[in-house]
Amino acid sequence: MTLLEFENLRVSLGDRPILRNVTLSVAAGEAVGLVGESGSGKSMTVRSVVRLLPEGAAVTGAVRFEGADIASLGAAGLRRMRSRDVAMVFQDPRAVVNPVRTVGDFLTEVLRDQGVNRADALRKAAGSLSEVGVDDASRRLAQRPYELSGGLLQRVVIAAALLTEPKLILADEPTTALDVTTQEEVVAILDEQRRRRSVALMFITHDLELAAAVCDRIAVMYAGEIVEILPADRLHTEARHPYTRALLGSRPGTVPPGQRLRTVPGVPQSALTAPPGCVFADRCPHAEDRCRDTRPAFRGSAACHLLEEVR
Amino acid sequence: MLEVRDLRKEFKGVVAVDGVSFRVAAGGSLAVVGESGSGKTTCARIVTGLTKATSGTVVLNGSVQMVFQDPYQSLDRRQTVRGCLAEVLAHHRKDRSRIGELLDLVGLDRALGEALPRHLSGGQRQRVAIARALAAEPRLLVLDEAVAALDVSIQAQILNLLVDARAATGVAYLFITHDLSVVRHVCEDVVVMSRGRVVEAGPVERVLHRPDHEYTRRLVASVPRPGWVPSRAVSRG
Ligand SMILES: Nc1ncnc2c1ncn2[C@@H]1O[C@H](COP(=O)(O)OP(=O)(O)OP(=O)(O)O)[C@@H](O)[C@H]1O
Ligand SMILES: Nc1ncnc2c1ncn2[C@@H]1O[C@H](COP(=O)(O)OP(=O)(O)OP(=O)(O)O)[C@@H](O)[C@H]1O
Ligand SMILES: [Mg+2]
Ligand SMILES: [Mg+2]
Repeated sequence: MTLLEFENLRVSLGDRPILRNVTLSVAAGEAVGLVGESGSGKSMTVRSVVRLLPEGAAVTGAVRFEGADIASLGAAGLRRMRSRDVAMVFQDPRAVVNPVRTVGDFLTEVLRDQGVNRADALRKAAGSLSEVGVDDASRRLAQRPYELSGGLLQRVVIAAALLTEPKLILADEPTTALDVTTQEEVVAILDEQRRRRSVALMFITHDLELAAAVCDRIAVMYAGEIVEILPADRLHTEARHPYTRALLGSRPGTVPPGQRLRTVPGVPQSALTAPPGCVFADRCPHAEDRCRDTRPAFRGSAACHLLEEVR
Repeated sequence: MLEVRDLRKEFKGVVAVDGVSFRVAAGGSLAVVGESGSGKTTCARIVTGLTKATSGTVVLNGSVQMVFQDPYQSLDRRQTVRGCLAEVLAHHRKDRSRIGELLDLVGLDRALGEALPRHLSGGQRQRVAIARALAAEPRLLVLDEAVAALDVSIQAQILNLLVDARAATGVAYLFITHDLSVVRHVCEDVVVMSRGRVVEAGPVERVLHRPDHEYTRRLVASVPRPGWVPSRAVSRG
């Protein structure tokens, strides 16, 4: 069953296109990874789900949650969606948590808003903390954010995200600031919760191996567009789009230390200077005239004119 | 180039850094890896003079620049990308005409020169911070998670750039990162920190392939790789 659907989503700011044609669906309980170029619109894509776009953003196309276009939600509907159905976890937990209030206040806020009494809210909060592996919940509830390391605080944010029993979690680089052991624990928690409660997940990361381990499908973005979508376990073997292949080929570790890493020639471009044809044409090693002139439609798993030619 | 001896830092009686020592040779490249909250950033801030140590010594021969973990807080939010670079170049008596070249070096579309920090994505801001640090041409560059928020293709471009700059000018790096494959690629030596202390140190090859300390072993085992299934409770113990 489709939970979330982007259909030809376009977002622009003034005359700058930010998202150019995003079409993607996420099933209930499914995990979809968003990887790709820095500045390509990954954060904007997930933010558009809860209408957290910069002021003045012009949006066309549709984002539907459980079949309803979010553009048609009134203020109350939007608030309800943000506090109940959809939870967000960002890269920097300190930007989300009010620094002067206690962890307990932070965790119980939404429940209290929903009319749950304080004692019940605290009990649920403590339960949620232990579910994400934070021990000694009663002490933690009384602490303030600066007393917790980044890894602990991110687990608090995830506990808060799970408390409202959302149907969808939007995770924007939730582990970029964490060490790899803490990262492993955090993604294991997300995974476990997803399976247990059938929560859907949109997971943004720059780590392709991490995306492959956490997600069912992976969407690759470049200059405001999704250029390829494929099952996570086939990322390495079946990636066809030249940009995806270039990404896979530029990870450190693909060449011995001391050798130059492979990069994509040319300057990365933001969607604002993208050409009329394929967004990747001017940097693609295989580009032909038609690539520069005509925008490739999505065929099968990728938007590329040369899927048959490029092997 | 840099010698740090027996560094200790307490925040209101709580010990964040406890007896940390390491050195970076001129033109060397030292990685600092370890647990979140183990004191890596605190050490970096002490080295660059932003934080005062409770005790211990830092000897530094030459200029230092730092790229911060969170560039948003270190960039002036009213200054455009171009304005920010122009200021640093002027301050170091360098030619303003280098702005375009610096933007190209870090892979930023020149069209973003007029943008303010809040108009940039996370990785774009990170690249502005890197360009600004490079503009000053320091002898030691401290990079605190400087490439974590970049896609791997731009990251590759920046890592190549750092390798080239080191070969050409002899700049030294203190490279704080969570990414062990980045460590393997750009550093010679590594220091592993846990709970404010150095638990293991040595050449990258040795430490990452034959770790002595239990924490280093767990770190290496947690790196995502094909077939890896994340499991809980690895970080405790
Ligand atoms: N507030 C804003 N005003 C104007 N432009 C913006 C704003 N925020 C982001 N942009 C632009 O929108 C584009 C998409 O940004 P977005 O943050 O979605 O990128 P991203 O794919 O998440 O990148 P990263 O991997 O670096 O986080 C970028 O080119 C960025 O410059
Ligand atoms: N200004 C401060 N006041 C109080 N405690 C602090 C302060 N700055 C840092 N700490 C504490 O010192 C310890 C070390 O923090 P530091 O930021 O150096 O860790 P780190 O190794 O850089 O972690 P990360 O990998 O998460 O960035 C942490 O427990 C942190 O909570
Ligand atoms: Mg982003
Ligand atoms: Mg740090």
